Formats: sequence, structure tokens, C-alpha cells
Amino acid sequence: MLSVENLRVVYHDVISVLNGISLSVRQGEVLIIIGANGAGKTTLLRSVAGMIDFYDGDIIEGDIKVGDSSIKGLGPTDIMRRCGLTYVMEDRPVFWYLTIEENLGAAAFSRWDREVRKDMEKVLTYFPPLKSLRHKKAGYASGGEQQMLAIAMALMTKPRILLLDEPSLGLAPLVTEEVFGIIKRLNQSGISVVLVEQNAHAALEIGTRGYVMELGRIVLEGKAEELASNKDVREFYLGSGEKSRRSYRDARRYKRRKRWL
Amino acid sequence: MIDLIQAVGSGMLVGLVYSLLGLCIVLIYKASEAFNFAIGEFMVVGSFLFYILFFDLHLPFIIALPLGLAAAAGAGAIIQRLAIKPLIGRSPISMTIVTLGLAFFIRACLQLIFGSHSYSFFLELPDISIDTGELLFLSDPIWAGILALSAFGVVMFFLFRTRWGLAVRATSENQAKAMAFGINARMILLIVWAASSACIAIAGIMISNFGALSTMSSIVGLRAIPVVLIGGMDSIGGALIGGIIVGVCESMVGTYLEPLGLIGFKEVAPYILLLIVLLIRPYGLFGTVRIERV
Repeated sequence: MLSVENLRVVYHDVISVLNGISLSVRQGEVLIIIGANGAGKTTLLRSVAGMIDFYDGDIIEGDIKVGDSSIKGLGPTDIMRRCGLTYVMEDRPVFWYLTIEENLGAAAFSRWDREVRKDMEKVLTYFPPLKSLRHKKAGYASGGEQQMLAIAMALMTKPRILLLDEPSLGLAPLVTEEVFGIIKRLNQSGISVVLVEQNAHAALEIGTRGYVMELGRIVLEGKAEELASNKDVREFYLGSGEKSRRSYRDARRYKRRKRWL
Repeated sequence: MIDLIQAVGSGMLVGLVYSLLGLCIVLIYKASEAFNFAIGEFMVVGSFLFYILFFDLHLPFIIALPLGLAAAAGAGAIIQRLAIKPLIGRSPISMTIVTLGLAFFIRACLQLIFGSHSYSFFLELPDISIDTGELLFLSDPIWAGILALSAFGVVMFFLFRTRWGLAVRATSENQAKAMAFGINARMILLIVWAASSACIAIAGIMISNFGALSTMSSIVGLRAIPVVLIGGMDSIGGALIGGIIVGVCESMVGTYLEPLGLIGFKEVAPYILLLIVLLIRPYGLFGTVRIERV
């Protein structure tokens, strides 16, 4: 339902971050994108969500399509309204100085129907910890609560595709598990999810398919179980290779090899 | 004692107008982190737009005021679209410097169009002056206080009770986050600049009503600087209190210190007060308490 074709993105006219990336998201799946820092994962999500202009980046080649229509060059509000695509930025994008309820209200700004109030109650039942905090400022909530709030806010926009950028960032393992459980439940309710993660272990457990990104390219693609058992992925992202890597030079050779795939 | 009440009372009335000026600065500062140095020029533009409608076209006050404010809002929106919008996402410093440039540009344009002489500006509002024999509050400052306070109230209602206000507050906190949740940040900034310049116009009309209107009236706009710095750059309540403090300080100095031979000290006093406040509280009296997570 969402496809990215040969996308090239450049920041500030000189820094090339995505070098021709192609991928597709199918209806109702949890797509995992893993990759090292600086691989271009966040840039990919920003481009899809129409926010790349804001960061002074340009799409110089390629296309992004939802269904058959191109969404390249549209603003984030249009993309959200037309395609039901919501982007949850990394590092818990909640408004610190608004209360939890106001946060949810602000997220529903792009909607004009009268059900906002009802939806807010429904979303809050998904996230019991938020219910008791609803009149508190979001800045005082804990990291896990803030991440839940961010996902709850995304739900207020009634998404069909959810782009999540590192929801596990800075969370304790148990809380990460809880958040991933929520993501899984959302997916079961019919929302397609694109999940960008450093925590490859947890992500591949709930994912259906995955891509490995490196230096702005896709280097590996496959079912989540396949990736989780792939020798290279195990060694470089799951940290459980058969024999431990001897030196950094080997890692670089790995990269050089992968670039040609 | 009577002197004191008189000085504090009239200081507060003028102070409310300064509060409104401060509010306009705070609105823009919160939304785009830029300080609008062109506030004085915005004020004169708004006043002249109203002047044309009320004195040249002889529309009744009740029609001329909303039309004038709408025109001022439109002017603010156009200026934002042309000069500020291309800078969204860039450093707020560049936006601040653009407003400095705008100040000179608008002042020059106004001088070309209207000349640099004064225009007489008298609203003939109903007389509501309070005269108890000992105390005397003139009608004009009372009207100014009432209008400024109600404009302040309207803005507060807009910000804290409407969905658009919620979107403005969200955008003020972080443009990128707001955009990601489907709030059209560019649109919101346009609204903020328009609302701000409409409020500046109200303040401008009231201030012109104290005396006359000329392109040099823009200097009064600089009063907003001590107001927001004393109150806190990002605090709406601070703008209200800061404005009143500056107004009272001015009129107290005018009553007690100027007769001692310090002519013109009134103009400087708010800045001295500002220095003292900044030494004690660098964020201003009501600057936002930053949320710190431990």
C-alpha cells in the first residue's frame, strides 16, 4: 500500500543520505527497518511523512506512492489527511508543557468530526497509566508514559499506516516489551506499522518482514524470522554471532561487501 | 497619599496598554522564538489603517475598529508571508534580524506615504472620566485600559479555550512535533502574526489617542522591551504584570522624581528597573519554569 521507489535524499544540497532506496509496505504488516546509526532510517521516515523540507533536505530522485498516487512533495498535513499516514518521531514527540489530555486534543487537530471526545476516551482505555495522569503536564510523565502518549496521540489521527521511529529509545527492557506489545495489538486492529529500531531483537520478534539499511541503501530484505536467523544480522545487530568479531577492520569489510548487494 | 493613588492608578491604566504590547511580543516569541523588533512600526501601520477608515472615510467607530483590526491582521499576515515564512525552520536569530530590517523598511514606507508630520487623532469616545474632587482619572486612559484588558482577555480565551489556541500552543512548543501530528505549522504561524498585529493595532490606536499620530509614534513600541524582559519572554501572565509594573514605575517617577529636576527620567526608569530585575532573575519574573526530568 505504501511504496518507495529508488529514493535519493540530500541534506543542505551536499550531504547525500539516501542513495536510491526502494521498499514496499504491505497491508496489515509490521515492517521492521534496522540499521546502524547514520544509515538513513530517520531520513527515510521523514521523507515519507513529508517533513524532509523542514529539515532542509531535498528528494532529488525517486518517488513515494500510496496506492497508485504519488505523495512526493506534499506537506505532512496533506499526507496525513489523504493517506492516513502518521509519523511518530523519535525521542518521544509529546508536548511537554501541555497536559496529557491537551496533547491528545492537539493531535486530533487535523480532524473535523465530532467524535474526538469519544475517541479520546477509547484511546485512553488502551493506555491505563495515562488515564490517571490526564490532567498532568506531559513533561512530568516518565519515559514509558511519554512513549505511550506519543503512540496514543498518533492513534488520535486515525492512522492506517503508522511510522514509528525508535519507540524503545531510552526505555527499560520491561517497558520496551510493554510498548512493543501495544504496537502488536494495534497491528492486529488493522493498522500497518513501519517500525524503525536499534533494538533488533525485540523488533524482529513482533515483525512480519524486515529490511536492513546501511549507508542509505537496503542491503538485506526478508521475513522477520529469516533475518533473525541470518548469520550477518546475528553478528552485527543481534550481537550473538557464532564467533566474536576480531577487530573493527572486519566490520568494515562486511560493510564493503554488503554495499554491492 | 492621594498623589500615590493617583500615580499608581493612572500608571496601571497606561500599563495595561503596555501589557498588550508585551503580549504581542510574547505570542510571536513563543511561536517562532523570534523577537519582533518591528513592533513599533506594526503599531503605526495599524493606527494609520484605522485612521484612514475612521477619520478619512468617516465610518462609525463600531465598524471602523473591527475593520481596522482586520486590516492590521491582514497586513501582519502579508508581512509574515513575505518576510518571515521563508525562514521557518532556520535559526530564530535570522528571523529576529529580519524584523529589525522590517522596522526600517516599514518606517521608510510610512514616511513616503504619510509624510513625517503629525495627524491629529481624537476618538471622541463617551466621557467616563472619574473625578472625585481629589482624584482625577481621565476618560482616554480608562478607555485604553478597558480596551487593552478586553483584547488581552480575548487572546487568552482564544489560546486556552479553543482548538485553534491549543494548536497554537502546541506549535509554539515545537514546530516539528506539531507538523508530525498534522498541525499545519506554517498556517498557525500566519495566524499568530496576524493576531499579534491586530493586538498591536489596538494598543497603537489607544496610544495615538493620548496625543497625535505620526510615523515617529513607533518609538513607544520599544516600551514592550522592558515589559517582556521584566515579565519573562515566554510568559503571558508575565506580560500583564510586566506591563503594569512598567506603567506604574513610569508614572511614579513622573510624580515623585521628575519634579526634583530630573526631567525626562520617566523614559529611562523602566530600563533601570529592568536591569535590577534581570540581575536578580535572569529569566524575568515569570519566565517559564523549565520542566526538568530527574
